[in-house]
Amino acid sequence: MNQMRAPAIVSHKLRAWSGVPALLLALLAVFLLHIAVGAKPLPIQTVIEALTGFDSTNFDHVIIRNLRLPRAVHAIVVGASLSLAGALMQGVTRNPLADPSLLGLTSGAAFAVMVSTALFGAASLALIPWIAMAGALGAAAIVYLIARLVPGGATPLSLTLAGAAISAFLGAVISVIHLLNQDTFENLRVWLTGGLAGRDIALLAYVGPWMALALLAGIVLAARVTLLAMGDEVAQGLGIRTGLLKAQLLAVVVVLSAGSVALAGPLGFIGLVIPHVVRLYVGSDYRWIVPYAALAGAAYLVSVDIVARIAIPPREISTGIITAMIGAPLFVHLVRRRTR
Amino acid sequence: MTAMVPPRHLVLRSPAQRVALRLPLRALVILALLTTALIVLTVLSLATGSYGVAPGEVWETLRGMTVSRAIDNVVWEFRFPRTLAAALVGAMMALSGAVLQNATRNSLADPSLVGVSQGAALAVVTMTVLFPAFSGGLRPWIAFAGSILVALAVRSLSHTSQGGSAIRFILMGIGLSAFISSITSALLTYGEIDRAMTALSWLAGSINAASWTDVRTLAGWTAVLLPSLLLTSRAMSAMQFGDATALGLGAPVALTRNLQLAIAVGFAAIATSVVGPLGFVGLIAPHAARRLAPAGMGLHLLLTGALGALLVLFADLVGRAAFAPVQIPAGLITAVVGVPVFVVLLIRSRPANAS
Repeated sequence: MNQMRAPAIVSHKLRAWSGVPALLLALLAVFLLHIAVGAKPLPIQTVIEALTGFDSTNFDHVIIRNLRLPRAVHAIVVGASLSLAGALMQGVTRNPLADPSLLGLTSGAAFAVMVSTALFGAASLALIPWIAMAGALGAAAIVYLIARLVPGGATPLSLTLAGAAISAFLGAVISVIHLLNQDTFENLRVWLTGGLAGRDIALLAYVGPWMALALLAGIVLAARVTLLAMGDEVAQGLGIRTGLLKAQLLAVVVVLSAGSVALAGPLGFIGLVIPHVVRLYVGSDYRWIVPYAALAGAAYLVSVDIVARIAIPPREISTGIITAMIGAPLFVHLVRRRTR
Repeated sequence: MTAMVPPRHLVLRSPAQRVALRLPLRALVILALLTTALIVLTVLSLATGSYGVAPGEVWETLRGMTVSRAIDNVVWEFRFPRTLAAALVGAMMALSGAVLQNATRNSLADPSLVGVSQGAALAVVTMTVLFPAFSGGLRPWIAFAGSILVALAVRSLSHTSQGGSAIRFILMGIGLSAFISSITSALLTYGEIDRAMTALSWLAGSINAASWTDVRTLAGWTAVLLPSLLLTSRAMSAMQFGDATALGLGAPVALTRNLQLAIAVGFAAIATSVVGPLGFVGLIAPHAARRLAPAGMGLHLLLTGALGALLVLFADLVGRAAFAPVQIPAGLITAVVGVPVFVVLLIRSRPANAS
């Protein structure tokens, strides 16, 4: 029996490892393509030159460095963060429908940023990540509480329904605040539709380190998520302090979701789609799902953003619209499959 | 058992006692109270706005006397159609919700939650953006076509061999709504900016721009749909006990259910085509009506309609008056009020329906 299984494990490992360079290559390719396409198409050659040897007198290089590179970097960071957060949430809650946007985390963060800006004027960039984190945490707690009170407990379905209700409520309140302070929010309007256009690289300097730390922590904790996904008793029997682990994972998820919202506004369904796609390739081991989700999520959001920029030439579609267009049908499929 | 007091009824009999109506007194009183409140709120709505008019003057104007040309103009041309449209839309959304809840046996159903409103919105936005030349008279029909397609899709997707469940039905609606809304948004980005702006204010569920033409559309359709709904109300009461019982009682279950869905979609589509998606009214009104006064299906529907009218009229008034120069669309107010109600209903839903 053991002899029979050993080659299978080896080939699975080989298969999993072989995907990593492919994903990295794909990410690099879409990254370069993302920078190259746009209102003024630039040859890949120029892009590589601008990235390796920057020449401040060359106009194309200035476009790349100041306008296109920040946007591409934002897409990578946000895509990786949201899909990694989604993967962790799905593992911890054993809920295939878990996603930062479906469970209210992103609208909570957006709401907190909105309200604090309305009450205290534009907050300093350094404060925004903290405000967003508080909002995400608060919304997550309320959604969980509501779902716990539903007869039958916090099932995937009741959690999702509670998340949708809270998102609808916060969305309406955000619109009201927005209407009341139209001047203050001219710049927040674009941000709220979930897009990557015109992002300020300065904010990334404040949020980036935290998100990098959280991404790293997520990958380190991933092995234990596999055990947690088998159930609390199993994980405890294998010597895992489930309470502590869940608290750590919650912190990681909140930092990643709130950071993404601060950078790109509420983008939906990325954390739902990518982990499910990744699972088709690497199976149910979170040691693989989590890093794969990060890489694939980054490549996915960069590609989606390319489509958003070039689909209808003079104008741009909000990136969030396209992620919803792709993610919602998968959501319907998952709800449908989950017949109990 | 001694504490049980049977509700008092008003019994009407025809001379030869061929036909008799037994109406619960409490429901009748409440219906009268609601009607009074509706009239008071209408007058208040006509009097409120950037151009101040005293309620007395409103009353005079409505009776046909001209207090001043300005007041005449403001009341008849701007505020009266808006007020009437708010009341009609509220009643239509509430009835749509009540019928959806009955037909799907799902206490959480609401036209805006299961994608019916979004379907109408997508159909109308598509026409506005791609074929700007189409006439306004077609709008209700297009909205109806979009809604019924989505309603059928949600229904067929949420039914499996094990039968549908309440929460899954709603989740399916939420997923489809998200998909449809994203297409609507993409179309808005694609369209001309001025047309997109018109569509945007309409999508927030605002009654600002309602005109007499809109009121005529709404009233005409209500005049057709409401009587047909009341005709099916007897079969609806039987269906409250489940399909098997209803069949045993001789109710045409399949026919009634299809008719009901068509009527519910019709109400929601027409209302949406005039003021845009207006959330949660169809969820709140039927539950509130049941709570205020238990009544037979026919009377319950009338109570629901009156409550819905009151709710949207109130939401429109608050949206207009609360932050004076800025107008908050009524749809946002109903969402802020409606979500807590939804959460309470979700928490109190029966475990059998829960998953």
